[in-house]
Amino acid sequence: MIESLFVLSPTGKVIIEKHWHELIPRRVVDFFNDQVSKAMAEGEDVTREDVLPIIASPKYQLINVYRDGLTYLSPVTKEVDPMMVFEFLHRIPDIMQEYFGQVSETVIKENFVTVYQLLEEMMDDGFPLTTEPNSLKEIVPAPNILNKVITTMGATTSVSTRKMPNGMSNLPWRKAGVKYNSNEIFFDIVEEIDAIVDSTGKAVSCEAHGTIQTNSRLSGMPDLTLSFVNPRLVDDCSFHQSVRFNKWESDKVLSFVPPDGHFRLMSYRVNLPSQQNLPIQVKPSINIGANGAKFDITVSLRNTDGKAVENVVLTLPLHKSTSTLTAQCNVGQYMFDPVGKVLRWDVGKIVPRERAPVLSGSFGFGSASSEAAANAGYNIGVEFLINSHSLSGLKVDVLKLFNESYKPYKGVRTMTKAGRYQVRA
Amino acid sequence: MADFIKQNAGRFFANNKKGENAELLADLNSEYRDRRKDAVKRVIANMTVGKDVSSLFPQVVKNMQTEDLEMKKLVYLYLMNYAKSNPDLVILAVNTFVKDTDHVNPLIRALAIRTMGCIRVDKILDHICEPLRKCLQDDNPYVRKTAAIGVAKLWDLDQERALENGFVTILQELVSDSNPMVVANAVTALAEMQESSVSKDIFVVNVAIMNKMLAALNECTEWGQIAILTSLADYKPMDAKEAENVCERVVPRLQHANGSVVLSAVRVIMIFLRYIRSEDFIKGLIKKMSPPLVTLLASAPEVQYVSLRNINLILQKRPDILQNDVRVFFCKYNDPPYVKREKLEIMIKLCNDKNIDQILSELKEYASEVDVDFVRKAVRAIGRCAIMIDEASERCVNVLLDLINTKVNYVVQEAIIVIKDIFRKYPKRYEAIIPTLCQNLDSLDEPEAKGSLIWIIGEYAERIENADELIENFLETFLEENSQVQLQLLTATVKLFMKKPDQSQEIVHRVLETATSEIDNPDTRDRAYIYWRLLSTNPEAARAVVLSEKPPISVETRTISPALMDELINNISTLASVYHKPPKAFMGNRAFSADAVKKAAAADARDEEQIIGDAVLDASGAPAPKNAMADLLDLDFGSSEPAYTSPPVSSSKPANNSGPNYSADLFDMSTDMSGSSGNVFGGMGGMGGMGGMGGMGGMGGMQQQQTQHQQQAPTPARNDPFGDLGGLGGFGQPQQQQPTKPTQSSAENDLLGLF
Repeated sequence: MIESLFVLSPTGKVIIEKHWHELIPRRVVDFFNDQVSKAMAEGEDVTREDVLPIIASPKYQLINVYRDGLTYLSPVTKEVDPMMVFEFLHRIPDIMQEYFGQVSETVIKENFVTVYQLLEEMMDDGFPLTTEPNSLKEIVPAPNILNKVITTMGATTSVSTRKMPNGMSNLPWRKAGVKYNSNEIFFDIVEEIDAIVDSTGKAVSCEAHGTIQTNSRLSGMPDLTLSFVNPRLVDDCSFHQSVRFNKWESDKVLSFVPPDGHFRLMSYRVNLPSQQNLPIQVKPSINIGANGAKFDITVSLRNTDGKAVENVVLTLPLHKSTSTLTAQCNVGQYMFDPVGKVLRWDVGKIVPRERAPVLSGSFGFGSASSEAAANAGYNIGVEFLINSHSLSGLKVDVLKLFNESYKPYKGVRTMTKAGRYQVRA
Repeated sequence: MADFIKQNAGRFFANNKKGENAELLADLNSEYRDRRKDAVKRVIANMTVGKDVSSLFPQVVKNMQTEDLEMKKLVYLYLMNYAKSNPDLVILAVNTFVKDTDHVNPLIRALAIRTMGCIRVDKILDHICEPLRKCLQDDNPYVRKTAAIGVAKLWDLDQERALENGFVTILQELVSDSNPMVVANAVTALAEMQESSVSKDIFVVNVAIMNKMLAALNECTEWGQIAILTSLADYKPMDAKEAENVCERVVPRLQHANGSVVLSAVRVIMIFLRYIRSEDFIKGLIKKMSPPLVTLLASAPEVQYVSLRNINLILQKRPDILQNDVRVFFCKYNDPPYVKREKLEIMIKLCNDKNIDQILSELKEYASEVDVDFVRKAVRAIGRCAIMIDEASERCVNVLLDLINTKVNYVVQEAIIVIKDIFRKYPKRYEAIIPTLCQNLDSLDEPEAKGSLIWIIGEYAERIENADELIENFLETFLEENSQVQLQLLTATVKLFMKKPDQSQEIVHRVLETATSEIDNPDTRDRAYIYWRLLSTNPEAARAVVLSEKPPISVETRTISPALMDELINNISTLASVYHKPPKAFMGNRAFSADAVKKAAAADARDEEQIIGDAVLDASGAPAPKNAMADLLDLDFGSSEPAYTSPPVSSSKPANNSGPNYSADLFDMSTDMSGSSGNVFGGMGGMGGMGGMGGMGGMGGMQQQQTQHQQQAPTPARNDPFGDLGGLGGFGQPQQQQPTKPTQSSAENDLLGLF
C-alpha cells in the first residue's frame, strides 16, 4: 500500500503532500532531509543521486525517487513491494511531463489543481488506479490554450459526463468510436546503446535497448499484425498490454489492437557480442605525469552504413585536483568546467570519410595532487545519434490489418543513439 | 502562452488576502456555472498551499450537485481534505453522495462510492453500508471494482461492521467475477484485509481461487497483476504437476514492462520451484528468468537497486542462474555507489574459472576509481576471487602486486590486508612477494593493514632475513599503537622468538615486560601474561599453541542461513528482500521478548520527536551487506571498531570456517533474548576454548563485555528494529549500529591471534 506522497523541492521543501490513506505527519520529511544531508556530508563527491532510494526509520520505510531535482518520497508503514512503489513514483513525473511538457517546481505550482486531480485519479486508498496517460487524459483535462480560452470565455469544457472511461470496455486500453479521416500509424524504433568500451576499442559489455514507440491514428477497432524480418535477434522483450503474448511466443509476430494515440508497443534488449562493430570509435590517450597529463582523443566512424553521426558529445570528468586545462580541437568546440572538473567536447556532426575530429591538450593538477590523482582512471561519456539506423539490425517487415476495411498508412523510422555509453581511457 | 498561463495561475493565487474568502463566497454562490467552477478551483488552489478555506465548506458542498464531472471531482477533493476537521458538516454532503451512488452514469456512481470511502470519518460509516452493498452488485464492472476497494476502506475503519454487513462474503464472491479487473481489485482488497485480520481466514487461497486468479491474470492492469501474483505466491500446490502448471501460466508475466510485475512473477516461480521435481522443467524456468532480470538492470537506478538485491538472493538459492551474463553487472563509472556495490557482490558470486580474467580486469579498473570505499571493496573482491578459485590465485596476486606498485596509499593498505588472507589460504605459496610487501612498511597507517603485515612477518619470520629488524622497527611505537596492532605485535614477536630464538630473546622479553607493566588495556596485557606464562612454564606447549596449524579459510558466497533463505525467497520483491532480513525484523508488530518489551517501554518514554528522530540506519550504511569475506578478513585482527575492544578468548573453535555467520546468529540471538547472555558467551568461551590457561583472560573479557553491554544497551532500546533482530542473518547490519558484531568477530579473531 502506498499511503502517502510528498514531492520535495531541490531544497527539501514540501511542494505537494498527498495522503491516500491515513495522514502521515510532515515531520517525516524533516527526518528524511536530515538523512539526505547526512549521507551527502560523507564525502565531497557524494551527490543527491548517490543517496539510497530506501531509507529505514523506526516507524517508516522512506522510499524515494530523485528525478530532475525533485524528490518523490513515499513513506510506508507496512511491508510493501518497493519495486511497485518505484514504478508508481516514476509514473508521476512521467505523467506530469505528458500533461505540462516539463516537470519542475514552478510547473507544479502553476498547475496545482490539475496535479491534485491527477494524483486523486492515479490512486485509490493506496492502490494504483488509473496510470495510463491516455485514460487519464479523458478524466482530467490537460491544460492547453483552448481549454484556458474556453474557460475564460465562460463556455463549458469539462469532460463529458456521458463518456465511459476506458476501464469499462472489453479492451481497457482502447475507447470505442474512434474516427479519423486518414488512417495512419507510425512506428519509431529507437535503440539506445549501453556499452563499456576499453581503451583499445573493444566492447567490455554492450547491449542495445530498443523501444517501439507508436502513434496510432486508426479508426474503429483495427486488429494489427506487425512482423519483423529478423525477430530472433531479440534476447528479451516486453510488450504493451494489447499485444497477444502467445502469438509472439509461437510466431514471433506482434498481434494487437492498438490504443489510440501514443503508446510504447514493445521494448526489447539485444545483447551485442564483444566483437560488435560499434558505430563510433573513440580513441583516448592520456599520459599522466606527476603534475598533470597530456591527452588526445580521436573520434572516428565505423560501421554506420555510410550514415552521418550527429549530436556527438564527449564528456571527460577529470580528477578533483585538476586545476588547469588547455586544449585545441579541429572540429566542434570544447568547454572545461573548472568547478565540476568536467571537460565537455561538443563535436557535432561527423560525416563519413571526412577528417577525424581530434581534441588534444594537457591538464595540470593543483598543489594538493597525490598518487591518487596520478593513478586515477579516466572514463569518457559518449553521446551520439544516428538517424535511420538500427545497430541491432531489427527491421519491420509487414503490417497487416484485420477487422477494418481501410488501408492504413504505415510509417517506420529508426534511430540509434548512445545510452549509457562510456569509453575507458 | 506561458504568460497567459501565469496570469491564469495568478488568478488562483490572488494575493488579495483581505476579503478573498468573501469574494470566493460570492463566486461560489454565483448563478453562472463557470464562475462557480472557477471559484471552486481557486478554493482548491488555496487549500493546496495551506490556506484555510474551511469556512467555505457549506458553499462548496452546495456545488456538489452537478452533472459536471470535473466540478464534482473538485468538490470531492475539497471534501476529503476537510472532512476530518469538519465531521459535522460532512453530513451535509452525505445525501448527495448517497444519491450519486444511484446515478445513471456509472462513472458518477463509482466516483461517489470511492470518495465516500476516502472520507475517514465515523459519521459517514452509518451511511455507507447500503450504497456500498448496491455498488458491489452493480451491473457495471467499473463500479464493482471500485466498490471492492471500498470494502477494504470500511474494513480498515470498522472490521465489525464490514463483517456484520456481509461485505467480506460478497467480496469473496467477487473473486469469481466475470471481469478480470473486478477480480484483481477483489484480490487486492481481500489480501489487504487478510493482513490486518485477527482470524486470518478472510482470504485463504485454495484451488478454486487460484484458478480464478490465473484466469484473470492476463487481462487485468499491471497493478492488478501484481496483486494477483502476490496472492498466488501464498498458494501451496498439491503436487509437482500443479506447481508446473502455475509456473507455466505465470511465465508470460516475466515479459512485462513493469519491473514489479516481473519480480512478482519471479517470486511465484522461485517459490513453486520447490515443489517441482523435473530437472528439465526447473532448468527451463531458470533459463526463462534470466533475460528479464538482466533487462531490469537497464531501468532507473532505484529499480536496479531492488533488482540487484533480489538477484543476489536468487543467486544464492539457484547459483545456476545468470551464469553467462556477468558482463551486464560490470559497473559504469557514473552508476550510483549503492548500485556499484551490489553489482560487485554479484560479480563475485558469478565468478568462475572461465570468466575470472574478465572479472579481474574489471576489478583492477575499479581500483583506479575515485570513490575510496568502492576501491577498497574492489580490492577485497580480488582477494575473494583468489580464495575462491585456486587456479586463478596467482593472477589475482599479480593484480594485487600491480596495485601495490601504484603506491596509492589506501589501495596498498587494502591490498596488504587481502594478501594476508591469500597467505592464510595458500600457505607458503607466495612467499616470494614478501619483500615487495615490506617495502611499503612505512606507508601503512591503518591498524588493520599494519596488523596484516605484522602477522605476515611473524608467520614467515624464518624466511625473512631481517624479520627481527622489521619487528624491532614496529616496536618503537609499540605503546602508541592501536590495541589491535599491539596484539599482533605481541604474537608476531613470540612467533619470531620460537623460530629464531637466539636473535630475539631480548626483544621478546622486552615486549612482554612492556605489555604487562605499561599497558592498561586488559586484552594486550592479559595476552602478554598468557604468553609469558606459557613460555616460562612449558615452552613446548607454547610452541603448540602459537605455531599450531591454522584452520583453512574459504569464501562463503552464500551468506544467508537456509531457513532465512527460504523466508527471503518467500518475500522476493518486498522490503525484506532488499534488506535481506525477515519482515518482522524491521516492520513494527514483531513479537517481543521480555527484554524487548522493556526496551519498547523505554522507547515510549522518549520524546515524540525522537520516534522519528532516531535513525536506525545511516543512509549510506543501510543494507550494504557485510559479507562473509569481511568476516574472514577480520578473522585475525580485532575489529575495525577500536571502541569495542575484544575479549581475549572465545568458545568458537577456529576450525569452524563458516563460523562467522553461525556464531553471529547465536550471538545476536542471545543478545536479543536477554541482556546478559552475551557476557556468558564471552566468559564461557574463556573456559571452554582454552581450558584453565585462558581463565585469566576470560575474566578480562568478562569485564570488557560488561562495559560494552552497558554501552550498547541504549541502542536496541531506542526502538531499534534492526539492531537486535537484524543480526539473524549474520550479515547486512551496519557496523556502527551493531556493537554485538565487532565483539563477536573480535572474539574469534583473538583466539586466532594467539597462534
